[in-house]
Amino acid sequence: MFDNVLIPISSEFYSRDVLKQSISLVHTLKSKIHVMYIIEKKTLMKSEERMDSYRTSYETNVLQQAVVDDQKQMADTVVFEDAKQFLSKHNILVEENIVEGEFSDAIADELQKHDYDLILMGFGKRCSLRYRLFYQCNIPIWVVSGSEKRSILAVCSNLAPNQKVPEISKQLSQMFNWPLHLLYVVDPKDPVHVDRYGKRSAKQSLDGLIAEGSSFIKEQQKQGIQASIVVGSLEKETLKAAESHAANLIIVGREQKHHSLFDFSSKSTKRKIAENCKYSVLFVN
Amino acid sequence: MDEQTSRKTSGVATVISQFTPRSVASLALAFLVVLIFYFLPTPEGLTFAGKMMISILLMGAILWIAEPIPLAITGLLIMIIQPLFGIREINDVFASFGNQAVFFLIGAFILATALEKHGIHRRIALRFLSFFGNNPKSFTFGIMASCAFLSFLMPEHGVAAFFLPIATSILIATKIIPRQSNFGKVSMLSIAYGCSIGSLGTLIGGARNPLTIEILAEQGITVTFFDWMVIAMPVVFLCLPVVWFILQFVFPIEPVDITWAKHAIDEQVQETGKLRQQGILVVAIFLMTVSLWVFFSHVIGLAVIALLGCILLFVTRTISWKDVEQHLPWGIILLYGGAITLGVGMSQTGAGAWIAQLVVNTVGDHALLVIFVLILVTVLLTNTMSNIGAVAILLPIAFGIATELPGISPLFGSMIVALSGGLAFMLVIATPGNAITYSSGYFSTRDLLKAGSLANAVCIAIIFVVAWLYWGGVLHI
Repeated sequence: MFDNVLIPISSEFYSRDVLKQSISLVHTLKSKIHVMYIIEKKTLMKSEERMDSYRTSYETNVLQQAVVDDQKQMADTVVFEDAKQFLSKHNILVEENIVEGEFSDAIADELQKHDYDLILMGFGKRCSLRYRLFYQCNIPIWVVSGSEKRSILAVCSNLAPNQKVPEISKQLSQMFNWPLHLLYVVDPKDPVHVDRYGKRSAKQSLDGLIAEGSSFIKEQQKQGIQASIVVGSLEKETLKAAESHAANLIIVGREQKHHSLFDFSSKSTKRKIAENCKYSVLFVN
Repeated sequence: MDEQTSRKTSGVATVISQFTPRSVASLALAFLVVLIFYFLPTPEGLTFAGKMMISILLMGAILWIAEPIPLAITGLLIMIIQPLFGIREINDVFASFGNQAVFFLIGAFILATALEKHGIHRRIALRFLSFFGNNPKSFTFGIMASCAFLSFLMPEHGVAAFFLPIATSILIATKIIPRQSNFGKVSMLSIAYGCSIGSLGTLIGGARNPLTIEILAEQGITVTFFDWMVIAMPVVFLCLPVVWFILQFVFPIEPVDITWAKHAIDEQVQETGKLRQQGILVVAIFLMTVSLWVFFSHVIGLAVIALLGCILLFVTRTISWKDVEQHLPWGIILLYGGAITLGVGMSQTGAGAWIAQLVVNTVGDHALLVIFVLILVTVLLTNTMSNIGAVAILLPIAFGIATELPGISPLFGSMIVALSGGLAFMLVIATPGNAITYSSGYFSTRDLLKAGSLANAVCIAIIFVVAWLYWGGVLHI
């Protein structure tokens, strides 16, 4: 299912939890691992902005080059060394490379060059990784968080096509032998139905949406999957269910949420879930 | 659409795309303030020129905080807007830009360039560091003390820039993972804070220091190089160990095998080799210049001594004009020019005194309370904008308050602002030293805020106590 896995490591955040997760993927799915270290351009830009007026452009360039060189050396001798040592204990070989740029852009470039089936990445709260990636990327993204529990929560809703999420959830549940619970969320604030091609319908009645959700749930239950339906906000209900089902992996699909003109929240649903959730999240795009 | 039109359209689009909503809003707000003040009735006790000077002060504050245009260009804007509104004569404005502190600053930058060219700063830093390599804690103190010491001799951001690769190479040798290791965090923060604290000690460390003595000189108060050290050094020597303790407390250092760090330092010491003849000449010229500053600046003048040192560097061919071009940041000189004309304008138009009167009427004549508020406001402002800008804005007000209030002299009030203006510990944008070390990736903005807010709180208390007991009680300034 996930033959080639890309593990991007931002110069702002490195976590061994991602490597731990990659071990189970390699052993269960025989995946190949590629680690990419991204020297975050925005960190360098931030310092360049402040040095403007205080340092000459010659000095700024020399310093920035020195910083980039040091970060490359650090990635090579510290981060990759650490990752290799850790993974070699589990007989896993990795390929690696170092790039400079913006986190999302660097990954997008890498995806154009090579075929990957999954992005496996860590997430540090307030490390301000920009999750443009969630929109740009067509392959699943697994955001790893250090949890020891072993169960899956698959989240479907009236706002997502609900095609890939049940399918991938079932496969992962069988492969890892983790119990699966499927949650269907009806979002009353955005009362539309999204079809299998991702198209939003006209506004529907709440009862109609609940009825559609209930029939979807019954279908899943027939296949032996534990499933339930709730009415509420997608993010809040997902987080609540993750807590009550003690899930270590939440699987979320490509939701087509409507953002009103006066909705000043710049964060996507996915980013909100990733930031507020202490469990790993797999975004199926 | 033909090619030329299309190119023009795309050119306009590029220009527009460079303006963020924030930069457009801040520019509009800055000019709007000036415009509103122009049409507002002049309050009692204030002249039209004074009222407009206050509007320029607010405009400068907005532009220096939001930075829609480079800091230096805001400096130029402050200069040209004064004759435009008839606040001051053109010649008066540009004359205050040509004061000796500007040339002192130019001289100090050229001298620092020579130190850098011959690797003298590197030698001093490595020798210094080699004394502190027994354990991780003392090692971080070594970094902080080295940075502070070097910031007595050259501009603080220059020290941060050259110290960063030294510290990074040591952290790489000790296999420290960025952001995960407290040793990495403390090492990098020690550079940033060491440079900031050290820059308070002499007139060379930070451009806000010569700005202060120039504004004082305009009012007939002379502060020599040595006087400055006598007033400021106790603050440095108290803040340095205290801030180091705070870093140890906020980020307790994990056990680290320091042997590799020692090896890395030894290797770098060997790489630098022996000082060559030209290097020795630079050291001699620098020592002579510093001695003249300390003992004869009241006779010959700071700028004359600085430029004498520079001329000797060129005569001995230890430095070339190309080196100067590469290392002299004209941006600071322009920023400085704007800052000094702002300060002089505020004093000459009586705007500073008017605001001071307003503050005294509001707060009352409680000298200690006023001192505390001045330190607090300066620290908060310097954390959100260029520290030269913060000092330029607050200095005329502090000067005015000190003139109004019994128990505080103008020198006392000015030194409070000048020294507090160097304590920019909390944000990356606060000072180039923070930004330079942040680029290494070893600490996050949150780490900086966490350690910086505590360090700032304690340093506010230190300046308050030193000002009250030492400046007031011992020096009687």
